Parts: sequence; C-alpha cells; structure tokens
Amino acid sequence: MRKKGTKKINRKDGKSQRKLFVVSIILLAIIFNSCTAILSTSNSVGSSISTLLSSPKVIENKITNPIRDDARLAVLWVGHATLLIQIDDKFILTDPVFTETTAFISKRLVEPGIEPKNLPDIDVVLISHLHADHLSLGSLDMIEPKTKELLVPQEGLVYIPNYDFNSSEIKLWQSWEKDGLKITSVPVLHNGMRYGIDAAWLDKSYTGYIIQYNEITVYFGGDTGYKPETQIFKDTRNRFPNIDLAFLPIAPIHPREYSGGRHTDPADAIKIMTDLNAKKMIPIHYDTFAEAYDSTGEAVNTMRSEIRKNNFTEDGIIILEIGEQKVIVPQK
Amino acid sequence: MLKLINIKFRRFLFILGLLLIISNLNYAQENYKETVTEPDIHPTFMWSVIQLIPSPQWSTSLDGMKFGMRWQVTPILYSFGINKKLSPWRYLIAEPLVRQSGSVELYFSPEFLNLEKNIKDKWLFRGGARYYFPLWQRGEYMSASLAASYYNFNGSNGFSYEAGIYLFAGILGIQTTYSPGFNHSEWIFTIRLKYF
Repeated sequence: MRKKGTKKINRKDGKSQRKLFVVSIILLAIIFNSCTAILSTSNSVGSSISTLLSSPKVIENKITNPIRDDARLAVLWVGHATLLIQIDDKFILTDPVFTETTAFISKRLVEPGIEPKNLPDIDVVLISHLHADHLSLGSLDMIEPKTKELLVPQEGLVYIPNYDFNSSEIKLWQSWEKDGLKITSVPVLHNGMRYGIDAAWLDKSYTGYIIQYNEITVYFGGDTGYKPETQIFKDTRNRFPNIDLAFLPIAPIHPREYSGGRHTDPADAIKIMTDLNAKKMIPIHYDTFAEAYDSTGEAVNTMRSEIRKNNFTEDGIIILEIGEQKVIVPQK
Repeated sequence: MLKLINIKFRRFLFILGLLLIISNLNYAQENYKETVTEPDIHPTFMWSVIQLIPSPQWSTSLDGMKFGMRWQVTPILYSFGINKKLSPWRYLIAEPLVRQSGSVELYFSPEFLNLEKNIKDKWLFRGGARYYFPLWQRGEYMSASLAASYYNFNGSNGFSYEAGIYLFAGILGIQTTYSPGFNHSEWIFTIRLKYF
C-alpha cells in the first residue's frame, strides 16, 4: 500500500515537472526569439539565419594603400555605413564595422572593402548611432591603434567601453574641431537604442554629421528616415549651404510601413539630397548585411531607376561598389 | 615725448595682444565644450514585466534532476567596463553591456526548487556577489562570471559558488551553482535569462 502511494506521488511529481519543463521551453523560445529580433534591429532573423552558413563575397584586389595624393576629397566605401573619407591630409572613418556579423545574428554578405590593417591613421571616427550595424565594439578593437578620436551622439558614451583613443559625445548642432577639421552633429530621423528597452531613455543618441575641412563640406547621414513634412534637412542646408557631397542610406526599403519614418529608400534619399542642396550624393547602407525583406541588388537597382526618373546623372549620384575608392574632388 | 609715446604704444600693444589671446581662448572653449550625458536609466513597465520571467534551472537530487526557476534582483552594480567619463554605478537596472563588459554586482535571488512536497517549502533565497568579465567583443558577444552567495532553504543555510558563461550581451547564459553543504542538491544548473 505504502509503495503504491509513493508511486502515485512520484507520478504526480513527474507530471508537474514535465509541465514545468514544457512551459520553460516555451518561455525560452519566446525570449530567445524576442531577443534576437531586438538585437538584429532592422534585420530579419529568418533571412540572416539562412545566410549563416554562406561565406561573404570576396572582394578581389582590395586597396592596400588608400592614401590618395591626387585627391582633395576621396571616398572608399568599406560597406554598409562604413566609409573612409579623405579630405586633403585628414582621414575620417564612419560607423566602422569590419566583423563577420552584427549583433551575432546578421551575417555579412560581402567582405569589408578594406582590411583594418591597411587603414591610414584615422583623425576621427564618427558613430552615427548605437545600433549594432553602426556601432561594432569588435571593430573598434580592430582599429584602436590607428584611431585618434571617436565621436558619438549625445547619450552615446554608455555603449563605448574604454579604448586607447579618446571618445567624446557631441550634442545636436554642437561642433568639435581639431587642427581645422570641424565636425558638427546634425539632426536625422531615426532612433537611438541598442537593446530595445533602452529606447525609453536613449532618445537623443542618433545623429548625422557635417564634416568640414579646407572649405570642403561633407554630409554623413548615417541612418535616417524621411518625412515630407520634416524641416530638419532644410535646417541643415540653411546652416551649411555648400554641401559638396552627401552620404545617404537607401535601404532597407521593405516593409515601408515599418521602415518609412526610420529608413530612407532611394526616392527618399533623393528628396533629402534636394533638401540639403548637396552637389553630389553617394548611396550607402545596402547589400552588405542580410537586410529585412530586401533582395540583394534591389536597393541599387531602384536607385538607378530613380536617377533616371529624376533626371540625375551617375556623376551627381555616384554608385560605388564595396571596396571601390573614388576621387570626388581632385587636386588642382 | 617720443619715448613716452613709445611706452604707451607698447602697453597698448601688450593689452591688445592679451585681449586677443583671451578672446581666442573664449572662442575655442565655445566651439567645443565637452559634455557628458549620463543615461537616464530607469525601470519601466516593460522592464518590470521582463524581470518576472524566470531562468529555468535543474537541481541534482537523490531522485534525479528536478526542475526549478530562478529570479534575480540587482540592488547595486559597479561597472569597470563602462566608459570612464560616466558613472559606474547602477541600481536595480543595468544595461547589458554595462554589466557584461566587466562589473561586480550584489544580487538577491529567490529560487523555486522542486525538492519538497509543499509549495511553501520549495523556495530558496540567495544573496551574493557576482563578478562579470568580458571574453569576446567587450563582453557583448561572450562573457563569463564567478560568484559567491549565501543561501537559506527551509532554515538550512550555507555558501554556494557559481560560474557562468553568457552570449548575446548576457541575455542568454548558463550558470552552474555548487553548494557543498546543501544536502538536498549540491549542484544547480541554470539557463540564465537576463534582459536588463
């Protein structure tokens, strides 16, 4: 009898344990899914997982010496929002990402356009915001010995651990200047969180930048959306009326109802270029990492048709390949 | 007379030069005044809800592995990984990177251990200190921890030692807790879920 009773209790215990186990597995799945979704921000987990096993596209004949003596303004597109900008003797690196993945999840589709070891000494690294595809701590480790200074938007220092270089925050419309190189924080439409919940208090940590040196003015849009009613780009034009070159994101395009206010598509990028009255534009932020619902090549093909539709030339809107370097303003 | 003018002129030049230096200094300061904005980190409704999600765990017992759950409250955390320009202190809530890039936290954990029949007897309470250190990408990709704690389970008390390893900015991890004097369950294996 006693044995029977014990068995009953054991069976009951076993049942409740199984129930708890199932509940915990479901909870785990929900949490894991939400975390990965948050971490990958705009990138879809599904499409990223599908590319996990593929190797990034190899770039043949990568540039090993990016210093251009023939240029006043030269640009090397490293991929996504990472650009090596040379203005005379100054070198600026934007949103450096050289790692295989962003946030562990989103896989790189194409190799970085230059090896970190081949970078020149960087006068200033600009971080536009704190999303994992723009702020990569592993990449900052890679470029640490070559970096003199790093600028982040207001509130951004919290996700910049201690490196050998100095890191400073820069408030909206505030300028940082050193040896004639002037960087000004300018407004964009985006959001500033890194992990999701921090959006509740990180509401200023995203920015664009104006880079000025020796009478050359460059606009770096980082990651931005566009709304027809917004005045922020016109405000920037009013303060900086002679923008020689603007870097503007053109993806992710889909889904527009989600991306619309936070990400520009090629048509939006042209509107921003017009608002800024920029002389030239280089599209960025596409075909580097697995993007939400965009197919590879979609953004750049749409950009080309927008160029034709808006009567621009490919001299005004310059489409670069990852790893390609272009002299925008040559030495006289 | 000429000498007097010369002296006055020299004084004038000196003062003018001084004024120019001062005005330039002012200009330089106005151009870029370094500011440091402390994040206004605070508990939100969403954060509170997420804290209720338990970390599942399994404890060894004479009857085999028993399922359980663990929650955690962090009254205070000191981060040595955070940017030196910012406060290293966090109370109740800490950003994943601030924690995983290197920190020491004091924690309190209520734990549900399925080791007794009555529900009220299944609770273990633990208080301790945990040291996190980064392993990969400043702790954001991978980090580890070592901890020591003091527990109470139905009146029996003792010390526990714990080691953990974490991925995804510490959101997902595995912890192993060893309690040498705890006869009910010497080892507890926890899948640590902690999001802020």
